[in-house]
Amino acid sequence: MTTGTGVRPAKAVVEARDVTRSFAMPAGPVVAVRDVALRIAPGDHVAICGPSGCGKSTLLHLLGCVDAPTRGTLLFEDQDVATLGDRERSRIRLRRIGFIFQRFFLLPMLTAAENVDLPQAEAGAPKEQRRQRTAELLQYVGLTARADHRPSQLSGGEMQRVAIARALANRPTLLLADEPTGELDQATGAQIAALLDRVNADGTALVIVTHDEALASRARRILTMRDGTIVGGENGS
Amino acid sequence: MNALAFAWRSLVRQPARAGLGIAGVAAVAALLFDMLLLSRGLVVSMQDLLDREGFDVRVTATASPPGTGPRLRQASRSAAALMALPEVDEAVPLGLSEVAFDAGGDVGSQQASLFAADTSRRRPWTVVEGRDLAGGGQPTGMVLLNRNLAAELGRRPGDSVTLRAFCGAGRSALPLVSLQVAGIAEFPFDDPTQFSAATTLGDAARACGEENRDEADLLLVASSESAGAENTRAAIQFLLPDLYALTNEEVVARLQQGEFSYFRQISTVLVAVTLGFSLLLITVLLTVSVNQRLGEIAALRALGFSRRRVVADVVCESALMVGIGGALALPLGMALAGWLDRILKVMPGIPAELHFFVFEPRAVVVHVALIVATAVLAALYPMQIVARLPIAATLRNEVVS
Amino acid sequence: MAPNYNSKMIRAAAAALLSLAIALGLGASPERARAAEGPLPDVLVSRQLAEAAGLAVGSSIRLSADPSGGSSREFRVAGVYEPLPDPMRINASKHEARLHLPDLLQMTADPADPLSTETVDAVNIALANPDGAREFAREVRARRPGLIARPAAGGSSEAAVFVVLERFHLAIAIVTIVASTVFLLALTVMLVDERRETVGILRLIGLTTRRVMSQVVVEGLIIATAGALFGLVLGIASEGLVNRYFQWHYDTALIFVRITPDVALRSVAIAVPLGALASVAASWTLLRRSVLFLARR
Repeated sequence: MTTGTGVRPAKAVVEARDVTRSFAMPAGPVVAVRDVALRIAPGDHVAICGPSGCGKSTLLHLLGCVDAPTRGTLLFEDQDVATLGDRERSRIRLRRIGFIFQRFFLLPMLTAAENVDLPQAEAGAPKEQRRQRTAELLQYVGLTARADHRPSQLSGGEMQRVAIARALANRPTLLLADEPTGELDQATGAQIAALLDRVNADGTALVIVTHDEALASRARRILTMRDGTIVGGENGS
Repeated sequence: MNALAFAWRSLVRQPARAGLGIAGVAAVAALLFDMLLLSRGLVVSMQDLLDREGFDVRVTATASPPGTGPRLRQASRSAAALMALPEVDEAVPLGLSEVAFDAGGDVGSQQASLFAADTSRRRPWTVVEGRDLAGGGQPTGMVLLNRNLAAELGRRPGDSVTLRAFCGAGRSALPLVSLQVAGIAEFPFDDPTQFSAATTLGDAARACGEENRDEADLLLVASSESAGAENTRAAIQFLLPDLYALTNEEVVARLQQGEFSYFRQISTVLVAVTLGFSLLLITVLLTVSVNQRLGEIAALRALGFSRRRVVADVVCESALMVGIGGALALPLGMALAGWLDRILKVMPGIPAELHFFVFEPRAVVVHVALIVATAVLAALYPMQIVARLPIAATLRNEVVS
Repeated sequence: MAPNYNSKMIRAAAAALLSLAIALGLGASPERARAAEGPLPDVLVSRQLAEAAGLAVGSSIRLSADPSGGSSREFRVAGVYEPLPDPMRINASKHEARLHLPDLLQMTADPADPLSTETVDAVNIALANPDGAREFAREVRARRPGLIARPAAGGSSEAAVFVVLERFHLAIAIVTIVASTVFLLALTVMLVDERRETVGILRLIGLTTRRVMSQVVVEGLIIATAGALFGLVLGIASEGLVNRYFQWHYDTALIFVRITPDVALRSVAIAVPLGALASVAASWTLLRRSVLFLARR
């Protein structure tokens, strides 16, 4: 697959080649993603839109090595994900990918700082390095003053900002966001959108699944999905 | 943050839930600890009681318990023969019988157990007031009473008492015999309500109207330090093959198979029940806790936490809950054991110095091993849930729900 | 337990000696030649003795009161019986036999004592009016000083042993109930917390605390009743297993566990209120909080 210019672009962060994901159901198999070809280059900013149930989140999970395709090939930094075991895939997710969820999924018993520290500790970073990086990230998202607060003491927007900081903790090459403003009001959503733009501008590839047109419009590429396939935008580029 | 610290934070996040879970484990583990103490308590206590008497081998005419089978004839001769063995330090003939002391007034008579021994040697009692019996096996006209009997008869050292002995299986009408109270003594196997007395073999024979009788129900033998009980028993059996010798360990083993059997059985049953109970309850607690956090766990997996790491979190949570509960169970169990011991010691015929629940370091080791096994087994099912958690499906379900 | 040197043990030992002599003096061949002086006197043997010695109805055996087996007499096994399941003798040898009293007296009499053939250890009396046992015993003692007369039911040291054991079992039961209650509370706190949001929404839309609580009580009662009944079924199922195991272990017909209607009722009467109370207590800790706290995600 090429971009149409005849020149093969730089190594992709993640590349889906005709991936299909189906789920076995009592009433018969459901194909959530069908023959999708997609390439995310370093620094890309891609939005995936579509109606509810079109397979956006499933595609995001495939790109993030959280799920495996039923058919097709998924390459992460030129490695075929299918050949990797669970341990290797976990390592990729820990060090190379950042995830942001609609429902934040912060650990309620940890403070904001501890939530950001957690993936770094899991990656084996030294304590001092973690402390510095955590402080840096909380400053980046504007929450230095809330470092010692638990999620129950934060607003929705603040929680999502902590989640973004956590996702960036191990300097991933790819940030995946599943409806990051889904639980937020418009104003807060705009703040998050601006923050995500900044993250992308600093070099991290960004793929956002969203219903939010305002958020989607900030992406350089907008892909529309329907019934499991990409119907609008660029398929395979 | 390592798995243990993470598990600790998970526990303290819900202090009421964690506190109740730990308290439940502590209560059940305390009962488990007590049953471990009970399983060997009687054996250890009886062994200690027998050893404290100072004799480590007992010789009888047959395998029947002392006082129930035929008596040893020519007891003093047998004792002398045993004393000649290098393995034997001391051999004391001991007679057992029932007597009725004349209590006077409305009470009539008071039945008591009478111990008759060759008092020239070590005696199986301790004098706490007055003086001990003098001489050897000859009649001295003296008797020792235990506190209960002295109080019941209203007698002090120096007073006289009259008794009638029950000799043999039949109840013949023997004449009353008068003795002087030499002192008050404690008998190691007395229960709190028992009436006991001691005299010489000669006085006991005189009470049965058989002055020349040289019989005893058993010989109490103390081994020499170098020989040991087992060697002494073997030497006695070789010298007197018609007689029946048992070391203290063998006596206790027989009791363990017989009278103590019920407590061994019930402690085994209750250990099994408490283990099963705690396993079931901890599994349920952990499983419910894990099911409530599936979204969190899926998110951690999505963030890159390995399967091994999230499973380790569950194991650590189980270990913390069971470990803290298990540790609290030890002092709680000791307090509970004291209460249960007091209940059981009221049983008739139980020596005041015998205990049902006896602390042994071994019990702590077994308790810890069982607790650890319970923690691991209880975590198995929740570990499986976490290990097999479909990340994407769980994340999707969390959003939908 | 201390070696017990009282006369009860002496009698028991005599029976054991007799049993031992029976075992020593066995001649289990039906064809064994015997004195041609009429039929052999009958004896009943316990099931355990019959199994151990290979006896059957019709077998002839020799019994002796002498441990050496001397002065034995021949008897015919007229039947095999199951010994009375006596919990106080659960570990005692069940190798025993029952003879006609004249036969036993003849074997055990002391030749030097002319009255020994008229001497027994005890006389068991069945009264026309069993309720008058205490008065009867008192009257016998008054009329014949020196005789020990006591009612068979209660008052003996054997009964005291079971009173103590009952107290012990009750103590164990109390500890188990306390532990179960604590666990139950822990579980209900967790389960109630799962429904925090639902409860918050109900309160938000206007349901009173009392209304929500009444639903909790009903729910708690239903779950507690179902649980108690299930526990009862489990108990009844394991009753058979426990009895079978211990009857096998001790070779006895004694019943070790019996779930009577009274026991079942007491179990349910304790379990159901405890379960319901745990539900209510856990819910109350939640309902005390503000509505906004409950409804917040």
